[in-house]
Amino acid sequence: MPNPYIPVLTKVKSMVSENEVNDIKTFELEFVNEEEYKAFDYIPGQFAEISIIGKGECPIGIASSPTEEGTIKFTIKKMGTVTSGFHNCDIGDTIGVRGPLGNGWPMEELKGKNIVVIGGGFAFSTLRSLVLYVLDDKHRKDYGDITVIYGNRNSGEVLYRDVLEEWEKRDDIDVVLTIDREEEGWARKVGFVAAVVKEVAPSSENAVAVVCGPPIMIKTAQDELEKLNWKDEQILNSLEMRMKCGIGKCGRCNIGEKFVCIDGPVFSLAELKRMPKEY
Amino acid sequence: MTEKLLKKDDIGKLYSELEKEYKFYAPTKVQGNIAFKQISNAEEIELEYLNSKVPPKDVLFPQKEIIFEYRYEGKEVIIEERKDLDDKLLIFGVRPCDAYSFKLLEDFFASGDFQDDVFLKKRENATIIGIGCNSPRQSCFCTSVGGHPFQKESTDIFLSDLGDNYLVEAISEKGENLVKKLSWLVDIKKGDVEKSKELAKLAEDSFTTKFNFDLVTKVLDENFEHPVWQEISESCIGCSSCTFLCPTCTCFDVIDENDEYNNRGRRIRIWDTCQSCLYTLETSGHNPRPAKIQRCRNRIMHKFSYYPSNYDCLGCVGCGRCITACPVNNELRLIIDKILEIEEKSGEKVSA
Repeated sequence: MPNPYIPVLTKVKSMVSENEVNDIKTFELEFVNEEEYKAFDYIPGQFAEISIIGKGECPIGIASSPTEEGTIKFTIKKMGTVTSGFHNCDIGDTIGVRGPLGNGWPMEELKGKNIVVIGGGFAFSTLRSLVLYVLDDKHRKDYGDITVIYGNRNSGEVLYRDVLEEWEKRDDIDVVLTIDREEEGWARKVGFVAAVVKEVAPSSENAVAVVCGPPIMIKTAQDELEKLNWKDEQILNSLEMRMKCGIGKCGRCNIGEKFVCIDGPVFSLAELKRMPKEY
Repeated sequence: MTEKLLKKDDIGKLYSELEKEYKFYAPTKVQGNIAFKQISNAEEIELEYLNSKVPPKDVLFPQKEIIFEYRYEGKEVIIEERKDLDDKLLIFGVRPCDAYSFKLLEDFFASGDFQDDVFLKKRENATIIGIGCNSPRQSCFCTSVGGHPFQKESTDIFLSDLGDNYLVEAISEKGENLVKKLSWLVDIKKGDVEKSKELAKLAEDSFTTKFNFDLVTKVLDENFEHPVWQEISESCIGCSSCTFLCPTCTCFDVIDENDEYNNRGRRIRIWDTCQSCLYTLETSGHNPRPAKIQRCRNRIMHKFSYYPSNYDCLGCVGCGRCITACPVNNELRLIIDKILEIEEKSGEKVSA
């Protein structure tokens, strides 16, 4: 019985600034011990408790796809003590990792389905993981059409520009980018994510929507999908909640009798409707 | 299982024999209250007590405890696991409600895919000596949550106060072995066991606080949005005494404490409380339970609805600490009454 609070050790392999104001970075971590990397067997949508030992720990969605072998990635916005600690890291610094945690996107159940990906802001990380996973040569044939609707406050906040460009070149995925207000030189959609969902009006036939973003975006996007006759079971949402342990012990991420860390973070709208509105 | 007698005068003998093998925790006076502490002298033991202010939960799940320690050597981090988790502990003189809380805590920390090794190792290495309650407090209600003032569950040895002696009953195998080792314990006399049973019956009959919790759970499940929660939470000042003194509350925060000058530190966990608005406050500023009404409701729902759903038992042992601790008298008995009133009123409507 190992102590579940003890992290495995990794090193920062690379850091990439993701936005104009430079407060969001993607950290690529390499495991110190190869065996521990092999044991880190994850699917898109899972998260890990990552820590700067001496500063603290926080739960962050895994931004890399298991198909990107060798390392794992996390996209972190500079907010408090721990996340600022990450932003002050150098290459080679030690990072503690506990995980993978949570249920993740149900990749098996999504097989054969069209997938509508709806994301907002830097919560797009686990959606990046999901899309890369599905687009991988090994998996592409298992899934139907893919539509990505991704919204940000402004053009400077759009993450993962390199992979977005790659996706836009392909003909087996539709990428719809939107920002909240008009900007000079922005030739794509303008408006909140929910409005763009309404405009794009994705078909619910043999489809599943995977939604991740700020709580208000999740709620408004759900409403639009419902108006488009999507059923509650077809709408999957990844929730955020304050967490400390990530393993169902510290208590705070409960929504009713469920814990977001172990029963989620992915819940269908059908499940959410059976739960108290405390998320 | 073996039954013996322990003379009250022999408590010192018991202590000096057991303290060699165990870290010996017992109820003792601390600043006018009873607390479970590791003692260094048998005279510190205070068995004539109603119940401790802080439950003995804090022996196995202390208010603040190290999860692991670490040290930096340049950029390298070396993690040091706790080595004291295998120490043998003895918790002496635990009331039945608190002993039963150890079972709830153990079930909770062992549940799911991740076992809380820090707690479970200590639990495994702990021997619990319980003691029956001859005179339950007016705020006690263990009989309403499936307990009893002489319930022996989750103890290894159980004591009944017979006046000059304690009846000593071995309950578990661990307890049986220990009682056998204490070869100087006196044989029981005719009538001792019967006397203990009489005391148990007298204690049971003395309870004034009684609830029908089956009904409470049902009403809670059906009335999450009921206006009664506004009423219940109105006088709460969010002091969190109810959760900090609860023997079944398990929530904790995790932080790193550094000894900067020596390049080392420790990751610790500290009791936390769902009654604080910071408990659920997210970095973004979003808070899923921003108001008192949601936080008060969460505590009651957790104990009497979520716990039954997840673990098939109530998350309450009936110790009554939250009742006596509440500084604004917004206590559990009144809360439960208000909840049950919903059902009574709806019944009246139907019959009218």
